[in-house]
Amino acid sequence: MSNFSVDNRGTSAAVADDNVMAVEYRGTQGPLFRLGLVTAILTFLTLGLYRFWAKTRMRKYFWSATAPGGDPFEYTGNGLEKLLGFLIAVAFLAIYLGLLQVILSFAGMSVFSGGDEDQFALQILFGQATFILILPFIFYAQYRARRYILSRTRWRGIRFGVEPAAWGYVIRAIGHTLLTIITLGLLLPRQTFGLEKFRVDRTWYGNVKFEQGGRWTALYRSMKHLFIAAALIIIPTILALLGELPVLFVFTFVGYIWAIYGVVFYQVDSFRVMANEKILGGEIKFQTAPVPSKVFWTYVLGGLLASTCAGLVASAFAIVGVGIMGNTSGFEAAIDSAVEAGGLSDVPMTAFFGLGLIVIGYIGTILMYGVFSLIFVQQPVLEHYVQNTAILNGDALEDIVQRDRDEMVEAEGFADALDVGAAI
Amino acid sequence: MMETAPVAAKYFDGSSAKKHTVTAHLAQRHGAQVLVITGYGADEILWPASELREVTDQAREEGIVLSQGQSGIARVIVPHGDAERAIRSVAANLGKRQVTGRQWRKVGLWASGAVASVLLILFIILPALANTLATMIPPAREQALGDQTLEQISGFLGGEGADDMTCSDPAGLAALEKMTARLAGNRTFDYDLEIRVFDHGMINAFAVPGGNVVLFDGLLEAATSPEEVAGVLAHEIAHVVNRDPTRLTLRTAGSVGILGMVFGDFAGGAVALVLVERLMNASYSQEAETAADNYAHVMLAEADLPSTPFAEFFETLRAKHGDSEGFMSHLASHPNLAGRAKAAEEADTVGGAAYAPVLNASEWAALKAICD
Repeated sequence: MSNFSVDNRGTSAAVADDNVMAVEYRGTQGPLFRLGLVTAILTFLTLGLYRFWAKTRMRKYFWSATAPGGDPFEYTGNGLEKLLGFLIAVAFLAIYLGLLQVILSFAGMSVFSGGDEDQFALQILFGQATFILILPFIFYAQYRARRYILSRTRWRGIRFGVEPAAWGYVIRAIGHTLLTIITLGLLLPRQTFGLEKFRVDRTWYGNVKFEQGGRWTALYRSMKHLFIAAALIIIPTILALLGELPVLFVFTFVGYIWAIYGVVFYQVDSFRVMANEKILGGEIKFQTAPVPSKVFWTYVLGGLLASTCAGLVASAFAIVGVGIMGNTSGFEAAIDSAVEAGGLSDVPMTAFFGLGLIVIGYIGTILMYGVFSLIFVQQPVLEHYVQNTAILNGDALEDIVQRDRDEMVEAEGFADALDVGAAI
Repeated sequence: MMETAPVAAKYFDGSSAKKHTVTAHLAQRHGAQVLVITGYGADEILWPASELREVTDQAREEGIVLSQGQSGIARVIVPHGDAERAIRSVAANLGKRQVTGRQWRKVGLWASGAVASVLLILFIILPALANTLATMIPPAREQALGDQTLEQISGFLGGEGADDMTCSDPAGLAALEKMTARLAGNRTFDYDLEIRVFDHGMINAFAVPGGNVVLFDGLLEAATSPEEVAGVLAHEIAHVVNRDPTRLTLRTAGSVGILGMVFGDFAGGAVALVLVERLMNASYSQEAETAADNYAHVMLAEADLPSTPFAEFFETLRAKHGDSEGFMSHLASHPNLAGRAKAAEEADTVGGAAYAPVLNASEWAALKAICD
């Protein structure tokens, strides 16, 4: 509890001190690094099959490291049910996705005729069309994944749960997204809040329900850095277009950097605003005060650190790989296979070994980056959120009783198949 | 049998969120080793040691988390130390996870469903669809696409663009045109054939969507007779006639997304993805290559040209690069060279008889010098 610092931004608890339940974070670097490395290697060796177990084990770790009032969460999902859900999703999605992509690339090829700008715009549209046409599935998958994860989450032995409402969520999510796009992002807070409220109002802990209070307009303050970034980009551009000033690229450049900070700030601050308005069972409240700049710098510096460490691993592989390849035959092989749109010659297979080693080194680097970013980015960010959160009126939790198990045979298969699963 | 002194432990009964402080110790009851939990209600809770399961992958700070059986809802958390060690020494099944036959059957059933669905789309629906759609794209569009592909390839080969890499010696071009005309005979094509030579040393040739065929200068250098080049050119024209580049592009567009879905995130599935993609495309394209070879044999025969030189060219390639054998031959984009040479040899209709050469000596010299 030494790190507990809810009050570092001047928020004051409206509840007597003895009824504030701090949330501890207990994860450490060593065990997490070992777990990350072992599961990454197993995933690699099993050609990806182990990823369902890897993710499950990772969740078990992070859940157990988060302990409100000193009692950790427990994740009770297992890899096999995740695999099963994935198989079900593939059985349904494979044909749809395959047809979609062929027909869209056919449409793209049919309208394409070179450098013409109108055609170019159409082509981009077709490029994005796959994404737009699977968007409903993505929202569906996200809702189902959240339902699965919470149904496998327990605290003090009591399950969380989410009501089934995935299609209702899809419709609202699409509506909100369209509105946000049409208003050039001005209704983003309404989307963020509306979807969060839809999800939270259907979430249970044992026999009591969560409720999202507050108003969506409160999130405009979280957007302030996005507005600053937009001003930095738009105003100099307009002035330049009017011919009154030379283009001040410095401003637009700063604007783009600022926008990145603005996105992180929005994520963190909107989380804070909405979390402080959540109520469990009509009486249990939450107090959280994550610091956006802290999260931002963890992303930046932790990311740099992780890529530096992974880069060192990559260099080792590259040196050995180039040594084995020795001559240019590997490069020729690479060109040969790229030029084979009906080509005639055979790729010299002997050159594949050195090339293979470099490919493995490349994959190994990405793999190691994942492991390093677990300990340098993901865990520190989670830790920051957790340690700056407290539960108010936690005594009332004692009255909560168990809810039935939500079987969910499909688990989060659709999210796994579409690769939209949450980071953890 | 082991008896230990009671230690303080946490107990969650799985029916309410209340935390219970209890004591736990190992003892013998009814002739069996059990974990005794006291302090929850009036009676002792007895968990047989053989039924104890450990909750794994915990950020372990306070102790070992235990349940009774793998689906037990209640949890007891015994602090690290002597008590934990004692429990580990008597509980033989802490890590045991049982998967029922019913669960396996379910996984097996859906695995077959998923595999069937993927095979159906990859090997039946996509090829059929790609073949049909390829004929529906307007030739002008295909040509534009081919031009773009050509630019990309020339950039990749270090050129300044397709036109920059194309050799343009007038006498050489005339020779090339004569050769093309002889092969084409009185055939008509959906596209305007555009044959060009790239100034590059690779012994290769390729066709892109829309009727563009490219021979590399290296191939002209390596060829010992104009009939060898004619064989290669006929093969590439066959690709154009069959619309192979377009068909393969469409097929690949469909299959890459599906394979990405099956093998998942980058680090794990990438190797499998590359390998399977290669394997699939190889089987697709080996089929197309064989068809193009056969078509080339027919073209050569109809132009009264021998296909033995075409066979010799394959032998030249084989001497230079070696052949793909065994497993590797399944990965190669083209069929085995020895087999192709044999097929070309067998298809020869001229035999030892005299024939009008496709180019005369000076034209052949001009073609070889097209890039000089």
